[in-house]
Parts: sequence; structure tokens; C-alpha cells
Amino acid sequence: MRIAVIGAGPHGLSALKALLQNGIDAQAFEREADLGGNWNYGAQTSRVYRSTHLISSKPFTQFPDFPMPDGYPDYPSHFQVKEYFTSYARHFGLVEHIRFDSEVVSVAPVGDGAIWTVTVRDRHSGDLHVEEFDGVVIANGHNWNPKVPRYPGQESFGGEIIHSADYKDADVLRGRRVLVVGAGNTGCDVAVESAQNAARTWHSTRRGYYYNPKYLMGRPSDQTADLLLALRIPLAVRRQMFKASLRFAVGDFSKFGLKKPDHRFFETHPIVNQQLVYYVGQGDITPTDDVASLDEHGVTFTDGSRADVDLVVFCTGYLVTFPFLADADLHLDWHEDHPRLALQVFTSKHRNLFVSGLIQPDSGQWTLAHWQGMLIARFLEARQLRPVVADRFYADATARSGRRFSAGTTYKDSSRHYYEVAHQDYLQSLQDAINALEVPA
Amino acid sequence: MPSRPVSHREVITALPAEPTGRPPLLMVHGIAHAAWCFAENWLPAAAAAGFPSYAVSLRGHGGSAGGRRLRRTLTRDYVHDVMQTITELPEPPVLIGHSMGAIVAQLVAERYPLRGLVLLTPAPLHSAMGDLVAIARDRPADLGRAVLGQTLSMEPEVLFEGLDPATARSYSDRTSTESPLVQWELLLPQRVGPIRCPVLVIGTPQDRLVRVADVERTARSHGVDPVWFPGMGHDVMLDTGWDGVLDTVLDFAGDLPPWGRARPQG
Repeated sequence: MRIAVIGAGPHGLSALKALLQNGIDAQAFEREADLGGNWNYGAQTSRVYRSTHLISSKPFTQFPDFPMPDGYPDYPSHFQVKEYFTSYARHFGLVEHIRFDSEVVSVAPVGDGAIWTVTVRDRHSGDLHVEEFDGVVIANGHNWNPKVPRYPGQESFGGEIIHSADYKDADVLRGRRVLVVGAGNTGCDVAVESAQNAARTWHSTRRGYYYNPKYLMGRPSDQTADLLLALRIPLAVRRQMFKASLRFAVGDFSKFGLKKPDHRFFETHPIVNQQLVYYVGQGDITPTDDVASLDEHGVTFTDGSRADVDLVVFCTGYLVTFPFLADADLHLDWHEDHPRLALQVFTSKHRNLFVSGLIQPDSGQWTLAHWQGMLIARFLEARQLRPVVADRFYADATARSGRRFSAGTTYKDSSRHYYEVAHQDYLQSLQDAINALEVPA
Repeated sequence: MPSRPVSHREVITALPAEPTGRPPLLMVHGIAHAAWCFAENWLPAAAAAGFPSYAVSLRGHGGSAGGRRLRRTLTRDYVHDVMQTITELPEPPVLIGHSMGAIVAQLVAERYPLRGLVLLTPAPLHSAMGDLVAIARDRPADLGRAVLGQTLSMEPEVLFEGLDPATARSYSDRTSTESPLVQWELLLPQRVGPIRCPVLVIGTPQDRLVRVADVERTARSHGVDPVWFPGMGHDVMLDTGWDGVLDTVLDFAGDLPPWGRARPQG
């Protein structure tokens, strides 16, 4: 059995490692000259900017079987993250299983789908190679294809418009009047860098959010949060505790001119940014309403106010795309703007087509990447050694396709949060799935 | 909560003259010992046989930092130290744990895909209560020490059978203190998840710290039979006959399939 892995970012690497570790031959394809995916700063599809640091702390973010070095800080930079992935790949002998500068242009099933052909373009020579595999793990990432909004008058805008996908460092902001659109973690980072560098900064958000600190009670705040989880404090109480701690440390966000959150804690993807409120308080960031329209000189907001700006940075997120999969709607059971998956990994359409990385946890990512990879590998192993168990598992799992892992929360704005998972809930589900595959036939 | 890092970790290294393709060996010492106990005989001999060989001193032991916090150190801190050491190795190692270090090694093996796991006179994961009772019968004073949180006796007669008295004394004198919390933790039954790498368990019938029954039970939990070395004491890497034990370990390590090529057992 030989499996193709598309992408050598963190999810591709962990899937590749899990397969090899479980005695399954695998070949990864990476379009860039180096591994790291999104964390391969400077590469064409990397979306990290010079100042990017992790927003979840290292023990919750690392691969559980390959801890980050003691010398790393609580929140490593993207340079350190890349170095970490490189040592992971070297340590487990993954590099010899990765073909670099190789862009997967097509993935298609042969006949009933027992075999898949993978067509790869060599980015140096342009030559196409076709190879057959017994299965495919899609790990091409979901944070690279920019989602760009359209506003009335956008064409007539005389300044510059960029998406955060193309934001690399603060040089582009220096001395300019900047509008930052979007309050995801990137939007907040860019707004803060703009406050430090631009002439003026407006920050337009759809709604109010909870801007969480990186540290709480002397610890990285995700560690404090997980301590409460470990103590089995119920959701409603945790909500109150988090709200109270923010109120105590910062106060009511609306007093800073920020919008009041229209949702409860844990109902949107957490934003970790301690500096945003600080710069709002200093007057370096002007929080504003939604954008209503653009004109030659600037922007009009939905509350009727206006601002003259030179640069608009859309931090409006990314679209999930599998450009190499011609019939993604067919093969991955596409619904609206996303595939309907079981356990965010399996599709009911094919037993040998897997997706890794299509998750957005409220904690670190790569612990989950590790267990997604292990689940795929154990499933393939069970298909060979205990086919009855594997079949039963697959039927059970796909019967519950589309199941969410929200740990009791209802996420706001479902399209933005389709990939959102509550890490404790999702981790438990992956563990249960792996255990179900271990049962003797 | 994550373990607090220490500022320095002693790793003694012995590499073959040239690369041989054999798997690295990482050795973890037991109570009150440190990397020196492997550096004495095993490291150079294993390197001469073609194995890149490493021995780590757990925090608060040997040349590693952490002595001042030793009284607050837990087994999980030792697991952290070994995991950190592993990530600095060029490839997945065969992990060799002696005595209490065997518990650390099994906790590492639960989490990390080792090439192979070797347990030398292993302290039992299922609780060392039985060993403590046996120790109390043999050396009642030691029971008191252990209960009070003092380090178990590392006198020559406890550790060695065949060594000449002067050498045995000099080794015994090199032992240090142990974390009382870690010693107490040995009495608690611990569970590890399935370990999927090949396992070798080595014991001696004359061991004055770990009972034969406990070595057997440890081996059984991994689905293997122990390999016995009669006539040796607890410190099989130092006592007379260490070379025979090492040969068995190297045979095991040399026969392991390459990482990522073989279907795991079990």
C-alpha cells in the first residue's frame, strides 16, 4: 500500500510521519522548495507575516511526541516554528519521502476509486508526472486562498487595497492612513502594527469580540483555560470566569469605543491580542462600524461616518479550495462552501481519501494534527489487518458526517466557524475513534 | 501544566568512528545515579560496536541542573527531560531505562514512537510496594529512610554482587540523592497505554531492590519473557558481567527493523 500526501506543512508532515510509523509507505508532494506550508515564510503560499507568533502556547501547540525545545519561548515566532518543523522532519526521516517543487495539479480516482492517480507538475521543468496511489491524504491547508469582500465603489478607490495574504511586514503601513477590515487574529495583529507605524488607523469590525490576553494569572492563558477544563468546571461557569477576568484586567470593552460582544464566550474563534485595546485607548486605533462603501478618497461606514484613507487591508480570511480535485463536490460531498466530512477527516464518498488540517481549534493546532494523522494511519492499518472492524468504524463514522465538535457551544456565523472545533471535544472524539479501530475483530 | 525547564542537561555521548547506520541508544539511569553509570563501561563499548550512544542525567542528577528543586521534582519532569533529549537526537532511538529510569522510559514509550525499548532491572510500574516490603525485611532501616523521604540505600551490597569491594565502594560513593516525591511515586500504581515498539526486559535473580516477580510482571505486560543474568546485582551496567548484558542489548538493538519500514507488533 502506498499513500500520497498533498502538502508538507504541519498536517502533511504529521500525516506522513504517522503513516510511516505505522508501516505504511507514503510519498508527500510539496509545491514549494522547502517544507512548512503556511510557516514557510516568504514562499508563495505562505501567509505568515514577519511578526507572526503563535497565539496558543507551546505545550498545547506542539506535536505531542516531539516537544518544542526548552529554549523556545511560550509563544514562538514563525521562524522558530519553521525550524521546529524542519527538525521534526529530519528526526523522523520524512525529508526523503517529500518531493519538493512539485505541485499537485490533479487527483482523480481510477474506476471505482480503489486507486487514485496523482498528477504532479515539476515547478522547475514544467514536466507532468502521473503516479498511482492506494489512497490520498489532502493536507493543502485552508489559509492561503484569500476571501476578498466587494464593496460599492471599490473600483473607484484611489488608494491601495491589499488582502492580509499579501501583508508581509509593517513597511507597507508606514506613514499612511490605513483601514484594517476584520477582527480575526490577523486583523488585530495588523491593526496593532498599523497603530505603531501608520499615520492613522481605522479598524472596522462586524461585531464586538472578547480580546483575550496572552497571559492570565502568570501563565499562558490557554494553560489557565485548560486547567479549568481539567477541573471539569462547567461551560457556564467558565464563561463567567473568563468574562470576569477580562472585566477585571481590562474592563468593559465598550468604554474604549469598541463594540460590545453580541455573543457569549467560546461562541466565536478566540482572539488573542493584548495590545489592540491598549492602542485603542491611546487613540492610535479608531474602531469603526462595517464598511458601507468606498470612494476615490476613502471609506464610508454603515453609521454614516467617513474616513480618508490611503490603504485598505482586508483581513477577511480565506476560502477552502482543493484546486487539484476536479469534482470536489462529488468526491468530498461538498455543501455550500465546505465539504461534509466525518470527524473532519473522512468522506462518505471514498474510503481512501482523507482530509487533514481542515480544523480551526480554540487551542493549539498540531496536537490535533498529530492525532488526525494517527487516526488515518490506524484506519488504513485496520483495513488491512481487521477489515471487519475498519468497515464497522467507517460506517459508524460516516453515518455521523457533518457532526460538530463544539463542546456544547453554538458557534456564531456558521460559515466562518465551519472548521471551528473545541479542542477537548475533538481530541476525545479522535481518541475514541482510534480506540474503536484497536478492537480485535 | 507543563514541566519547568532546567537550564542545563548533561548528555554524555560516545559515537562510532564513522556512521554505521545502526540506531542510536539513549540510556536513562535510575534512582540516585546519573549518566556516569553508563559512561563507565557501556557507552564506549556500544560506540565501538557501531551504535551512537548517549546517556542523559535527569534533572538534579550528575552534571544536569535542577539540584535545588530536586525535592519538588516529579517523575513527569524526568519524562520531560528524556523527551527533550530525544528531540535532539538525529533519529528515533532505542531507549534503555534502568530501574526507576525504566519507568520513565515506559512513560516516554507511551508517547513517542521508539525504535525499541530496553528495561534493565525495571522498577515496577504496577507499584513498588512489594519491593518496599522486601526491602523492609532485608534492611529495616531503609524502610524508615524511604518513608521519611530520604534516598534508598545505595550501599555496595545493595547494588553489586561480583565487583571487587574497592570498585563497588567507589561506585556506591558516586550515587547522589533522589527526589522524595519520585520515590514515593514509585509506590503508586501507574498505567501506560499500549507500547507498540519491540521490548527487551532484563533482570537478575539476585537483585536486592527489584523482586523477580516484579520483573516478570513487567515483562509480561509487554508480552515478552525476561532475560535473566544470574549472579549479578541491580546495577547490571556496572557489576561484573556488564559486557554480557550489553551484548544482549546490542543484539536486540542491532536486529530491530529500521524506523518507519516495519509493521509494528501487537
